[in-house]
Amino acid sequence: MATENTAWQLEDFVDSLVVDLDKTRETLAVKAINKPLSYTVKELALDLNIFPSYDGDSVKFITAQPGQEGASKVTIQLGSITDQQVRATTKIPGGKNDLNIDDIPIDKTTKKQLRKLGVSSVDDLKQIEQKNVDLKKVTDNTIDYSALANQIQKSKRDQSPPRVNGVSLSLDESEGPYLLIKGQNLAVDPKFPPVAVVNQTLAGIMSSSPDEVKIRVSDEHALAKDNEVILTFDPFAVIRLNVKAQ
Amino acid sequence: MPFSMIVAQMLAFNGEIVDEEAGIRSHIYRCEIESPVEFDLVKDADGTLQIGSTPPLYYVDTSFRPSYHKLRIKAELSEDGNGD
Repeated sequence: MATENTAWQLEDFVDSLVVDLDKTRETLAVKAINKPLSYTVKELALDLNIFPSYDGDSVKFITAQPGQEGASKVTIQLGSITDQQVRATTKIPGGKNDLNIDDIPIDKTTKKQLRKLGVSSVDDLKQIEQKNVDLKKVTDNTIDYSALANQIQKSKRDQSPPRVNGVSLSLDESEGPYLLIKGQNLAVDPKFPPVAVVNQTLAGIMSSSPDEVKIRVSDEHALAKDNEVILTFDPFAVIRLNVKAQ
Repeated sequence: MPFSMIVAQMLAFNGEIVDEEAGIRSHIYRCEIESPVEFDLVKDADGTLQIGSTPPLYYVDTSFRPSYHKLRIKAELSEDGNGD
């Protein structure tokens, strides 16, 4: 029994088509081992009978079913291109620190606006910023770069949150006590020196790095059996520790 | 049938034409195929679109016609093919 056709997006269709053509090439390559005459696909075109629909967000297509008339026609043509053309027309995938727009918790409208501008990753956004393009102007005031930059920073920080492995009380050369916080991804942003509050009293930071933070403590912090340490590493990373004295 | 198979099958012809009496051996170095096809597009469990296709199955003219899409393929002899 025939089932209803599934609605699909052009991007999904082309992706599947390319995967299928790769499989074809592999099949033909295997065949070429035993058969001296084998052929490679140079061009492939498809005229599809489809019914397009737009849900206000994206255009989807449904292939015409038997007996359905009045369908639109979409022609997809795939030609073989050289590796040089691929390099000239394809963006090099982002580095390991690059973030896809889809991974940033921003609203759908902003994502849609960014995609329309050809922005699919944070690196794309940086390139636009470096060229002094005012996003507010080109998007009718809907996108504010500074707000977006904050969201991106937050997302990046969420991917590498601070992790505390241990806290100890030590003495420096002049016998002054300090709390040594050891861990990972602690003070990673040099623009923001960490801020520490020990037992609800501000404490000075002696030194900070991604691996350790030294917090100066004194009598005014009234160290007791249970101590509360709040550490702000940057605007997107705040931790609260309960330090027990032994 | 997966779309990859239909393309591979269409190109699975013997491209050599031999006339032993005349002592002539020819080979096809380029071909263009245009064919109506039926498509069955389904999404699998992980949301990937699977393109299933088949050439026209029924040769009887009916009032309830399948929707035929058109497939055009240009293929050339592989560079490493023995065209000599």
